Amino acid sequence: MSEPEQIVRLCNAAKAYGEGPRRIQVLEGLDLEVRRGELVAVVGPSGVGKSTLLHIIGLLDRPDAGELELNGLEVSDLNPEARARMRNTLIGFVFQYHYLLDELDARDNVALPLRIAGRTSRVAKGRAEELLSRVGLSDRASHFPDQLSGGELQRVAVARALAMKPPLLLADEPTGNLDRENSEMLFSLVRELHLLEGLTSIIVTHDEEMAGRCDRAFRLAPAGERSGYV
Amino acid sequence: MRAELHLARRYLGRLRRRTHVATVSAISLVSLALGVLALVVTLSLLEGFQSTIRRELVQRSAHARVEPVAGRVLPDAGELASVLQKELPNVGMTEIVTGTCLARSFADAIPALVDGRSGAQRVAVDQILAARLGVGPGEEIEVISSRRRLTPLGPVPVRARLEVADVVAPQPGREGGALIVPLAVAQRLLWGKPVVEAIELRDPAQPWRLARRVRQVLAGRFAEVRVDGLQQLHSSLLLALSMERVMIFVAVGLMLVVASLNLLCNVAMIAAEKRTDLAVLAGLGLTPSGLRRLFVLLGLAIGLLATIAGAGLGSLLAVILDRTHALSLPQGVFIVSSVPFRVRPEMVGTVAMLALVLAVLASWLPARSVARRDPAEGLRYE
Repeated sequence: MSEPEQIVRLCNAAKAYGEGPRRIQVLEGLDLEVRRGELVAVVGPSGVGKSTLLHIIGLLDRPDAGELELNGLEVSDLNPEARARMRNTLIGFVFQYHYLLDELDARDNVALPLRIAGRTSRVAKGRAEELLSRVGLSDRASHFPDQLSGGELQRVAVARALAMKPPLLLADEPTGNLDRENSEMLFSLVRELHLLEGLTSIIVTHDEEMAGRCDRAFRLAPAGERSGYV
Repeated sequence: MRAELHLARRYLGRLRRRTHVATVSAISLVSLALGVLALVVTLSLLEGFQSTIRRELVQRSAHARVEPVAGRVLPDAGELASVLQKELPNVGMTEIVTGTCLARSFADAIPALVDGRSGAQRVAVDQILAARLGVGPGEEIEVISSRRRLTPLGPVPVRARLEVADVVAPQPGREGGALIVPLAVAQRLLWGKPVVEAIELRDPAQPWRLARRVRQVLAGRFAEVRVDGLQQLHSSLLLALSMERVMIFVAVGLMLVVASLNLLCNVAMIAAEKRTDLAVLAGLGLTPSGLRRLFVLLGLAIGLLATIAGAGLGSLLAVILDRTHALSLPQGVFIVSSVPFRVRPEMVGTVAMLALVLAVLASWLPARSVARRDPAEGLRYE
């Protein structure tokens, strides 16, 4: 069976937080399609729901309404166990903050998704070392997060996101906490890996210049207004 | 499972890096280990005292007793004795006649149990009777039976003057005075004919199993007799000892419950502190059941280390205290001169199992709550 052209298809999605008078409608009637191999930027003002959208696509959150297809599979009704397994094999995450585990060194942090998938320690460590080398941190493999700089931490996080060779990479403002130089280095790294690993990548960013260097940019508008590719 | 084990090991193994998880876990571990230690030492102490009592019971009491089902006289006593002697040649056997008589000395006259035994050659009084009558070895006492004999002067009680040869320790659980006399003397005093009321048997090699062996020998041949073993002969005392053991186990076991509540709080604290880590782990694909396993493993690992440390140190402490006689008792208070300890492997095993079960239960509650969390929630709060 051939792989569907669209790796992400979100139809009429809605999401609100809170109840009663404090209820905030974040997403409403949102449609989004991402083709395989694309590098898509999601842009929009703060609080518009960019992270929420990424969490919904990444199966970390459920929409209140709408349908989501990932890699041709309708995932809205999957149980939590199946969603977790899908996150492990299908999706790589990079967050604004690195979210590396303090108790693990860089190698173990990168190897974590492989261990979760049940790979042996040897295989997991081998792949982790390969990825750390690709992000230029092979000499930092045994360093713990508190021994790494901000830029290095994010590069380790990128390596971790790619450990399982997922077809989909989701990055939520990955350069948000970095200075200009490190931001540029990280974005270049993500773009390079995107091409080398044959990924489909969705990057949430505030940086218009960075969005301009992606294949397409999706502008997310406040609920009730029209969102779409620009 | 591999990832959960790896993570649990790393979470616990970072004490040198002084992470909060490791410190909190260390506190839980120490409190649980202290609970296990206290329970092992207390139960060893209790077992030490109880085994001393049971040993005394075995040394000083009959191990089985054959009695008539109805009445006081053992039917076919001669044949019964010869069967037992033939079938159980290595078992000590004593024919018994007992009854209450008035024992009198120059000082006092009190009711006393006359214990006629086939093995007794001389008259012995127990310490209670000796004290009450003020007699010792070489002195005479008069024993007056409730049985009467006809004389030209009318019916008079049967009486005998006996010379005390020994003063012996009282039988366990006996409060009144007693004198041990040759069987023939008791038969004359109490019955006036050569009857036997019971046969007592002793087998130091297998005291607790003797009654069953005797029952097997007599089965189908002597229907009118009953065989009581140590369990039946001292049922009240043994029941009290068992009850004491259960009550102490429950009471001291509450320490373990408190320690596991502490573990529960600490695991819950870990779950709260690691909220973001757990959301990230969920994001990386760790399933809700995997998250639950991770926390149960954390609790189990803490419980296992605490149990090994607590049970090991507790057993060692009990053995040292027992061997060195470190806790001495005042003379005459108890039958031993120092506080006895006895470590029984099955007892330590029970404590260990309890500690592990409590540790798993204590970590299960926070684990269940962690598994139910929405992964996005942890990331959103951050």
